[in-house]
Amino acid sequence: MSLALEIGSICEGELAKASETRMTALGVVVGVFSGVEVESLRFCLDVVLKDRFGDVHLEIEREPGLAACLECGLRFEVLRAPFECPECKAVAQGVSGGQTLQVSYLEVE
Amino acid sequence: MSAERVDVKQKVLSANDQLAEHIRGDLTARGIFCINMISSPGSGKTTLLEKTIDGLKDHLRLAVVAGDVQTRNDAERLIRHGVPVEAIETGGGCHLNAEQVTRSLEAIDRDRLDLLFIENVGNLVCPSSFDLGESVKVVLMSVTEGEDKPLKYPAAFKRASAFILTKTDLIPHLQFSADAAIENARSVNPDLRVFSTSSFSGAGLDEWQNWLTERIEESRRST
Repeated sequence: MSLALEIGSICEGELAKASETRMTALGVVVGVFSGVEVESLRFCLDVVLKDRFGDVHLEIEREPGLAACLECGLRFEVLRAPFECPECKAVAQGVSGGQTLQVSYLEVE
Repeated sequence: MSAERVDVKQKVLSANDQLAEHIRGDLTARGIFCINMISSPGSGKTTLLEKTIDGLKDHLRLAVVAGDVQTRNDAERLIRHGVPVEAIETGGGCHLNAEQVTRSLEAIDRDRLDLLFIENVGNLVCPSSFDLGESVKVVLMSVTEGEDKPLKYPAAFKRASAFILTKTDLIPHLQFSADAAIENARSVNPDLRVFSTSSFSGAGLDEWQNWLTERIEESRRST
């Protein structure tokens, strides 16, 4: 919920900066390793957005992580654990990225 | 009127991250090593801290910031071990944030401190998103929680430097494979330093405390 409130504050700031009064859409990027549960965030954001901005179209984009297979070296995107290499099926991989949590865009009018 | 698109690309937690960087700068300048302890409720953070404080307090100056949703129980337990403890009661909040830690640190004498523990609120999800200005995060998991927890909650394991498996004395009573749990944790984060511990029997505690001492010395050499 604190994340949703923070996002609401960022939107208010951007709206003021753009000298607009109405936000029609909001884009948020959530990395798979950001520690954020998308459905919980969506639930909280629905409440915050409705309360502060009325009807807003919410788009949540999932950012994948990048895994590098420690056995065969293949690099591939992962959206959920366990991280199995699509080539050699080894389980243990180094994973990076997917840590983003950001407000990517607003649509205002 | 047509809608206009505004690119923002702002990190949601940038306000928290700025405060956390301020904490990190302050602690580093004073030579204080800081551990942010993350786990689900009941995994044994407070008990491990009690043992760790007893093991280290004769040669290191320690303090604890202890977070709980409600009650000051953990803080009261830790104070009995003779180190400064600041309690943060979040009143419903499921994680600590850098603002709360900043306020707590004002009450701690940081001129005479080597090692600061932050005991986060018991929760494997939200605390991993909030930087508190720590030197390292440490994730704990008890043997009663299931081997697949690192896969279900990868962010906590991904962002930690060390993984402490707790309550290993219970393994004979459970269908739990420590090897599988450790393998799962390493699949998320191959660089994790792993400690298998029991605060009840004392197993693994020396290894954990030696690692802490080494990390403190290492960070002092590099600053």
